Amino acid sequence: MKKLRFGLLAAAVVAIVALVAVACGDDDGDGGGEGRGDTVQTIKDRGELKCGVKQTQPLFGFREADGTVVGFDIEFCKALAAAVLKDHTKVEYIDASDASTRFELLAEEEIDVLIRTTTITASRDRELAVDFAQTTFYTGQGFAVRTDSGIDSTSDMGDAIICVQTGTTTEQNVADHFTDIGLEYDPQGGLSQDVADAFFSGRCDVLTADASDLASRIAVRDDAADYKILPQIISKEPLAPGVRDYDSEWKDVVNWVVHGLIRAEEIGITQANVAQMAANPPNTEVARLLGVPFQGGEVAALGFDSVDPQFIQRAIAAVGNYGEIYDRTIGDNIPRACTLNDLVINNSGCPDGQGGIQYALPYR
Amino acid sequence: MAVATGSAPPPPSEVPLLYRRGVRRLLTQGIYVAITAVVIGYVYTSLDLREFGFGFLNEPAAFKVGNQWLVDVDGVTNSRITMYLVGVWSSLRAVLVAIALSTVIGVLVGVARLSSNWLVAQMAMLYVEIFRNTPLLVQVVLVYTILLIGAPLIENVVNVGDFFFISNRGMAMPWPVPDEGFWNAPIWFVGVWVAALIAMAVVAGRVRAQRQERERETGQPQYGNRWALGVFALGAVVSFFALGAPVSMDEPMIVGTHYIEGMVMEPEFTALVAGLTLYTSAFIAEIVRGGIQALPRGQTEAANAVGLSGYQRLTLVILPQALRQIIPSVTNQYLNINKNSSLAYAVLYDDLFRVANIVQNKAGHALEMFFVIIVTYMLISFAISVVMNFFNARVTAQRI
Repeated sequence: MKKLRFGLLAAAVVAIVALVAVACGDDDGDGGGEGRGDTVQTIKDRGELKCGVKQTQPLFGFREADGTVVGFDIEFCKALAAAVLKDHTKVEYIDASDASTRFELLAEEEIDVLIRTTTITASRDRELAVDFAQTTFYTGQGFAVRTDSGIDSTSDMGDAIICVQTGTTTEQNVADHFTDIGLEYDPQGGLSQDVADAFFSGRCDVLTADASDLASRIAVRDDAADYKILPQIISKEPLAPGVRDYDSEWKDVVNWVVHGLIRAEEIGITQANVAQMAANPPNTEVARLLGVPFQGGEVAALGFDSVDPQFIQRAIAAVGNYGEIYDRTIGDNIPRACTLNDLVINNSGCPDGQGGIQYALPYR
Repeated sequence: MAVATGSAPPPPSEVPLLYRRGVRRLLTQGIYVAITAVVIGYVYTSLDLREFGFGFLNEPAAFKVGNQWLVDVDGVTNSRITMYLVGVWSSLRAVLVAIALSTVIGVLVGVARLSSNWLVAQMAMLYVEIFRNTPLLVQVVLVYTILLIGAPLIENVVNVGDFFFISNRGMAMPWPVPDEGFWNAPIWFVGVWVAALIAMAVVAGRVRAQRQERERETGQPQYGNRWALGVFALGAVVSFFALGAPVSMDEPMIVGTHYIEGMVMEPEFTALVAGLTLYTSAFIAEIVRGGIQALPRGQTEAANAVGLSGYQRLTLVILPQALRQIIPSVTNQYLNINKNSSLAYAVLYDDLFRVANIVQNKAGHALEMFFVIIVTYMLISFAISVVMNFFNARVTAQRI
């Protein structure tokens, strides 16, 4: 009996000592990585990409009844998994539907990348532990109302009850905008799905969110004709993937996968022809983008040492180019031609004052 | 101290090292200090890249908080801490109303469970079993969903006599509002009214003494305290209005699709308070029932023997004694109401937790914000405990 008690006490002491040792060891590890993360290596070691996505927004990130997550943002997760892990199915979709905790997920390393209709802003870039890669979707904040409401612009919204997603830039935009136009309003805040439900049940007069968000929610409804989106746009909302601060290696990979997918559309590389293009590249640029030698020359690695030179090729093979992703996931629900998300090179046919701004930086 | 059995403890030198009191104490305290040091050290080292401080709370908020009542804060010129305090006020409101309602309903249901009327007792039992055995979150969300989907749209609002409206934007009802001169009323008004109040207090004191005297003489209950309170309240109200009260009733109206004026009880508030009340009142009912059943049957029999009515038996004999059992347990339920009020998150009610979340989402500083949240909840809990301990001291002051 006495020996047993002594044993327990000894075990407790050993446990404490171990705890101290672990804590100190952990501390050393963190200290060494200061200013320079190694998310790419972490993903490779884990064999799976942890992608923080929305699961409640049709077209962008939405969980289907059978449990699969689909949408525009999801395709970029697959592209990144294909680029880093050579397998676009090796993605764990972490639910980041709650806007107010999404950056915590990133900061606490619960996710590797946040692809969740997140707007780039200066304050987020500076105040939060997040860095933004290339914009994947350009939109702006709009307003949805019922068709019979008689509201045609925000100047008709005096004292209106406005449903707005909390923890978003829309919340601040609407506060700023109503101060500017000198009107009062009554906000109803909550999770994006909850405020949308509240709006569609008649709790609010107005639902405000990114115009693309509004379009996606109304498009999937049976009574879509009862609602309209006002033409008025009160903000810029460039939606981009977010990564942790101080990890330029990983940020560059994310960045250039997005650029690569846009460039692929610009020069006509598609999911269907990428293999044939890689086998027989028509010019040096295609060879460089796909990471293959041109006419027996060297493969250009361009300094990407954590991934192999074919990472963009694999991304294209997995999900297609930017235009293919758009057509497959969003399609006609949000028309693309001559809107911000069209390619700059297509603008010649657009009416005056309209046109796209999607433009890939040169991959060389 | 004589040792009866004669087996004296062995001298310190024979006790194994680890069983010596001094060593034991040193060791346990050492382990405690070590754990504390590790935790603090770990938190400190993982924080060294971030700035720790509360300065971010003074920055402009740039968001507006909903469900405001008696305050009007637009969030553009106000600081983040102001918006947080608006959230605290929303939480407090829900907690106070839920405490009051769940106490009343809980006592009624608890007493009803012991009713000799079979139907009443069974209904009370059904109430307790339903609301005690389902999760609070489910109840809150269910009530909210019913209010949003079940209540009519504002276009088809239920209009009760043009002063009470029900729609899925809430219930609107008349509410007294101070007139413009309320806060800078003339000095003579305040003076006269205070004088009237003092006079009323004197009158009330006389009434109380008189009735207590009669109670002693006749042996019939004369309810001296209640009479005194009634006289004072009546006098205060009458004199207030006689002096031309600077308060008017604000009747709600519907303009377009909005309520204006009056008081609007929004569905978010109603859902949260209803959920908290249903859930907690079921627990309080059980506490009340237990407290009453713990009394010896002789108390009831004695009350019957001296000819008290059922109501008198309950209010004069049973409840005052049962309160000694009930109050500590009910205090726990009140603390639960405070903590459970954070479920406002599920029904779009802008309570302190949601506002804190918004601030944290904008400014980062999660650790500081959680510190503020925890301190706030603890302060509210502490205030509830202080009040309840006061009541507890009163009911236990008399020994039985």
